[in-house]
Amino acid sequence: MTDTETPPEETTDTETTTAAGGTDTIGDDTAAADRRAHVRKEYGDVAASAGDCCGSSTGDGEETAIETDTAVEADPARASDLGYDPDDLSEAPDGSNLGLGCGNPVAISRLEAGETVLDLGSGGGFDCFLAAREVGADGQVIGVDMTAEMIERARENARESEFDTVDFRLGEIEHLPVADATVDAIISNCVINLSPDKPQVLAEAFRVLEPGGRLSVSDLLATEELPREIRDNPDAVAECVGGATTVERFERLLAETGFVDVSITEAGQWSEELPIVSARIEARKPE
Amino acid sequence: MKESLLEILRCPLDKHELELEDAEYDGEEIVEGTLVCPECGERYPIEDGIPNLLPPDMREEAPA
Repeated sequence: MTDTETPPEETTDTETTTAAGGTDTIGDDTAAADRRAHVRKEYGDVAASAGDCCGSSTGDGEETAIETDTAVEADPARASDLGYDPDDLSEAPDGSNLGLGCGNPVAISRLEAGETVLDLGSGGGFDCFLAAREVGADGQVIGVDMTAEMIERARENARESEFDTVDFRLGEIEHLPVADATVDAIISNCVINLSPDKPQVLAEAFRVLEPGGRLSVSDLLATEELPREIRDNPDAVAECVGGATTVERFERLLAETGFVDVSITEAGQWSEELPIVSARIEARKPE
Repeated sequence: MKESLLEILRCPLDKHELELEDAEYDGEEIVEGTLVCPECGERYPIEDGIPNLLPPDMREEAPA
């Protein structure tokens, strides 16, 4: 990780592949760091530019974004398609919905008053504010994101709102800065696909959940193995498709981590060109 | 960040409890300060109310 001397050519073909093929973990630290840096830059740009689509290239002409069906504008019709109701949109602070999600994890998390909620990859904070409404004044919501620009935006949104139970911090979902067994529900919206180490993300989620705690995730999953040129393309990864793991592998990964009551529901086809669906992923840490 | 949340905050590396140093407050909110891990010695800055709890190798490359 800190070994910046590693020549980049050594980073090819060093991914850890599972029995079914495909990539849940990039075994090489430099390659994983490269992926994180690229994702962070893309989302930093999105945050700074008011955000118009999932990881689209905003920049310098060198980056060629793959044309996929992932460009999502934060318009009310789109949000409604993803499962948000009009109250959700009117009650959350303006500018918190960057349209980068692929579902409504709060709606599936069945939050109750007083609960502690953790949002993995909180972005502009939209889902955190919706969660704050559900858990009320006695609950608390923590958003973790690795992109400074996103966290700053979310905090500005929080300042402008009446939600004082939402707190944001810069952090990495593979290294959660949260104590063991302290969280009732984890939500995450179209973020885990971006991680170069999904087993570690799930292990950390499992660790911080209280016994009986729930994982409620909206994310993109592949219904069949993606072509290698998509999986290896950093822009495709930043657009939430390149890093999408398969439904079966994600299900198995959750079970291997220790989660029970695992349920993955395909919510809709996401891309016309690729076998990618938006999915509702639910699981529970045993009592 | 709110001081009450310190309870469930941990060092991202070794999950040890963090100690707050040089805190400046705005009402109940900690706006500046440093979170220190007594176990590994790592220091995590709080800037403009946002604790930076990225692992050190990620923090160095983060924009200020």
